[in-house]
Amino acid sequence: MPISPRFVVNFTVLLLSVGFLVLFGIIGMTVWLGERAQIYFDEASSLRDLRIAAVELRSALQSAESSERGFLIGGNEIYLAPYDSAKAHIDDSLARVQQLLAVSARDALLTRLSNIISDKITEMDRTIALRTEFKENEALTEFSSNRGKALMDEANVFLSSIVRNADERLTAGIAEQRRNALWLRLLSTLGGLVIVTVVGGVIFTLFRYTGEISRARDEVRSVNLTLEQRVNDRTTALMRARDRAEILLSEVNHRVANSLALVASLVHLQSNCLNDRAAKEVLNATEARIHAVASVHKRLYASGNTSVVDLDEYLSSLLQNMEAALRSEGHGASLRYELEPVKLKTDSSVNLGVIVTEWVTNAFKYAYPTGSGEVRVKLKRLADGQSELVVEDDGIGRTAGPAKGSGLGTRIVSAMARTIGAEIDYFSRNPGTGARLSFPSTGES
Amino acid sequence: MLHLRGQTVGSVALFLANVIAIGSGITAPLDGPTGIVRPIVLPPFDPSAAVCKRPSGLQRVLAFAQDNQREFMQGVARGLALAAKDRGLMFEIAQADNDAAKMIEQIKGFRDAKVGAVVVSPVDTPSIARHLQELIWSGAYVGTVVPPPATSLLNAPQYLTGKVLADEAADFINTRLSGRARVVLFTHDSLQFLAPRFTAMRDVFRKMPGVVIVADISPLTVDEAGGAAMMKTVLLANPDIDVVLGADTVVLGALSALREAGKTRPDQFLGGIDGEPLAVTEIRSGGPYKASVSLASPIFSYAMGQHAADWLEGKNIPQAMDILPRALTLQNLDAYERDVADPGAVYRDPQKRNVYLRMYGNICFDTRDQYINFPWSSERK
Repeated sequence: MPISPRFVVNFTVLLLSVGFLVLFGIIGMTVWLGERAQIYFDEASSLRDLRIAAVELRSALQSAESSERGFLIGGNEIYLAPYDSAKAHIDDSLARVQQLLAVSARDALLTRLSNIISDKITEMDRTIALRTEFKENEALTEFSSNRGKALMDEANVFLSSIVRNADERLTAGIAEQRRNALWLRLLSTLGGLVIVTVVGGVIFTLFRYTGEISRARDEVRSVNLTLEQRVNDRTTALMRARDRAEILLSEVNHRVANSLALVASLVHLQSNCLNDRAAKEVLNATEARIHAVASVHKRLYASGNTSVVDLDEYLSSLLQNMEAALRSEGHGASLRYELEPVKLKTDSSVNLGVIVTEWVTNAFKYAYPTGSGEVRVKLKRLADGQSELVVEDDGIGRTAGPAKGSGLGTRIVSAMARTIGAEIDYFSRNPGTGARLSFPSTGES
Repeated sequence: MLHLRGQTVGSVALFLANVIAIGSGITAPLDGPTGIVRPIVLPPFDPSAAVCKRPSGLQRVLAFAQDNQREFMQGVARGLALAAKDRGLMFEIAQADNDAAKMIEQIKGFRDAKVGAVVVSPVDTPSIARHLQELIWSGAYVGTVVPPPATSLLNAPQYLTGKVLADEAADFINTRLSGRARVVLFTHDSLQFLAPRFTAMRDVFRKMPGVVIVADISPLTVDEAGGAAMMKTVLLANPDIDVVLGADTVVLGALSALREAGKTRPDQFLGGIDGEPLAVTEIRSGGPYKASVSLASPIFSYAMGQHAADWLEGKNIPQAMDILPRALTLQNLDAYERDVADPGAVYRDPQKRNVYLRMYGNICFDTRDQYINFPWSSERK
């Protein structure tokens, strides 16, 4: 299941929080254990002093007793040499024990221990005094009463207790320190593992997230590559289709142009077979019109663009053909044209070609009945996407009287002009006549 | 040697001094064999040894020269009476009331009356020894409760006595206290011969690393008051005590001190030696007092009575006999009391008899010059 960025952030924050908590726990525990170690050190120091004092007190008591016993048995005062110093040591050690035990508030124990030691020293002093005074029997009786041993045993109960208690507390302290050290090691290890786990978890999450992003990017790239390939393939297919369509269209236009040329030739042949001038003219006019239409188709299959026609090129070609055809029919006028580059839709171009054919044919046929003259064709681009086609001559002009021709040409021009949304304006010149066609062009040059 | 009760500690001390004096050869001139005076190790008793002649001219009477009427000796008297009855002997008791001279007169009287068997619990051994020897020379059976001279001497192994009690305590420490305990040993410094008891206790606890002997001390007086006073002292230094061992009277005193200090617990082990009635009562109550080592006086005295009858019939009898210590606990108290109530049944059942008694050496009328005349102990190495 993919992981969301929100999950990554929350999970990472959670893991890092756990890691920090564990870290703070380890630090806290380390500080606490350090405090405990300091307390133990102070206590151990005090216990060690107490233990030493108790052991020294017992040792001094034993030394004094050994001295006394040696003297009692042998009567040799050399045995008494350490006696006084042992008694002094007893006093010092007892004072230290009392001082160190005072904090434990064990008054009854201290009182009893002091009394026992005092009694013991008194007993030893008494027996030594008796022996010194050569009262051996009395000294032996005192010795045999076991009072001295009993006091020593009793003192030992207390001193052993003090030493043992100190040892036990020291042992307990050491055990606690060991436990604490063990806990510290254990918790540090566990904490370390938790932190490593947390960091590992974060890294894993980030790696996983990064991996997922990378995979998604690769997938997008792969999809893009596929899409581009598909677009390219599609484009290529479309281009091929378009090329096929254009070829087909050119072919159609070519066929249409050929067919129109064939029809025009048939009309021309038909015209040649006729003797009637009027009929011949009609057929010639028809032929010219067919040529005008065919000329557009020729243009279309010759150019790459079938939707629009370069009107200047089309009209130029059309007019050359017309001039040649009309002059071959014996018309003496000449044709001059000024054509600005204008583009027009194909259908409109056909209509416009037919109109130009009508107007130029009329000018050739009727403007100069007696001879030569000039017919001018002008094509201009106007503002606002409008263009203007003007056909003019310097001939006889449109005079009153019966209309020349059948009137079909005029009707064709009007119909064609309506079709392409053009306006027709006939105007007189002096001399001559002009016809103007204003029509919307594509605006492209 | 047999441990005697606290109230006779003084006389026992005197008795021991006399025993030592005898052992050292400080005796009056003799008219007969001195017996075995140098300590030897006796072999086990052989009940199948050859039969001897019967003593002649002696009455089939079993007499008991009793030092005093303490319960222990009353048990001896009861066992002797039962044995005499079972073996068809006449039984007589002479109470000395702790009077050594009186006892000497009683012994003389027995000798003059040609009493065939005399059991003695001496008041003053040195003074009576010569008179006991005279009885022996006369061919009579002489059984003594502990000190020589005697044709058949009874003793109690002191080390074993201490060990039996310490083993009970050790078992309790191991099972109830997880092997850890603070132990108080109340010794008995005024009776040197009891030292092996405490040696045994120390030996047992030395093998237990969790046991600490916090006090190994003798009360100033070996009685309840002394035990209580010393226990209070010990409690000053060691407020928490798990085990207290010593003589029953002393341990009973320690118990009262613990109670006074509010330091008694059900998981404490207080144990004593002697089988004191108060100690038995405490054991029955199921409190801290858990055991008392007892020497079954009716059982050994019944055996002595049987031996006396055997002697008069010319049979071999043991030169010495151990009464083996038994630790009385809540679990075995009833069985023990049944045994003590019927010592004849115990004696007749060899298995049961071996639980209480162990016999050493052989002696009969013909070999009576080999009587024991030194302070015998089966624990002597």
